[in-house]
Amino acid sequence: MNRFDLLNKIQNILKDNLVICNIGLPSQELYKINDQPNFFYMLGSMGLSSSIGLGLSLSQNKNVVSIDGDGSVLMNMNTLATIGNRAPSNYTLLIIDNGSYGSTGDQRTFTDENTSLKDVAIGAGCKNVVECSGDETVNELSKAIDDQNNSYVIISKINSGNVKIDPIPLNPITIRDRFRKFIGIVKYL
Amino acid sequence: MKISKKIIDNLKKGGVDFYLSVPCKLLANMIDILEKDNDVYYSAVPREEEGMGICAGAYLGNKFPCIMMQNTGIGNSVNAIVSLLQLYQMPIVFLISYRGTPGEPVGAQGGMAKITEDILQTLRIPMLHCSSENDLEKISTFSKHAKVVESPVAILCDFNLMKDDK
Repeated sequence: MNRFDLLNKIQNILKDNLVICNIGLPSQELYKINDQPNFFYMLGSMGLSSSIGLGLSLSQNKNVVSIDGDGSVLMNMNTLATIGNRAPSNYTLLIIDNGSYGSTGDQRTFTDENTSLKDVAIGAGCKNVVECSGDETVNELSKAIDDQNNSYVIISKINSGNVKIDPIPLNPITIRDRFRKFIGIVKYL
Repeated sequence: MKISKKIIDNLKKGGVDFYLSVPCKLLANMIDILEKDNDVYYSAVPREEEGMGICAGAYLGNKFPCIMMQNTGIGNSVNAIVSLLQLYQMPIVFLISYRGTPGEPVGAQGGMAKITEDILQTLRIPMLHCSSENDLEKISTFSKHAKVVESPVAILCDFNLMKDDK
């Protein structure tokens, strides 16, 4: 299973939740699979999906799922410590760990060598850290979202590989405003 | 404490209700005040760039965020400012302790001090430079300005303004 297959499998679970989706192919694939206003596509700032989702979950009550990648988490690993100490129960971090920098041509990341993001997350103080296969991710993610009392970090171990895909045609302000309209903040659209 | 209290009061008057900091000794009194304030959210964060991301999420969730940091933190955050906060036009207040300005005892702070305003200018970030107590009155209006122009804004607080704020 690669990232595109996994995103296809979990898209139904995501539909009522606020989703922050990582820059590059993850966002482009999710957009192609089933674009929704409750999906915030990152067009820059690699590494910050987990942090954006954390800020969002701290500021309103809806469930938040940050979709991040192994390469991106390696770039901003300190945020696991913030999540380990501050994440509220409506926060779920899904790390799609394919051991590869997919958007830049599938160069290997350190999770394909010695680094375990599960161990890093646990060491950083994160609660409910789950490492699972792509097939198990649907169940684990559903459980995490349904649990109103705990935050989760799910590390989904899948294969590398991408599908051919176009950049997202949406303007950043369109992404921002329809997302905030879904939350109930923007009234003018 | 008088200066720090005035800064926080003016930020709150400007509508700021979500605060993060990467600590600085010049920010210590403000952090004390915020930790005891139940009306607003406050947390420390390990790194400024990450804080920009958390602020962006808090803005999406209808908060008006402020990140407090040394001017060195701007150097750590340039890409996040440009390709997240400015790309999506997010109003975030940077409250910056301006290390390396006159009064600073640590010479090594001078390097970032020399280029801090150049970086902010290059980024086209509106600046409010506070060097005396009177300047602090401008903070509430300046914070509101961030929302009006949908842009991050920077408030620079000089070393000498903050250093004797016992």
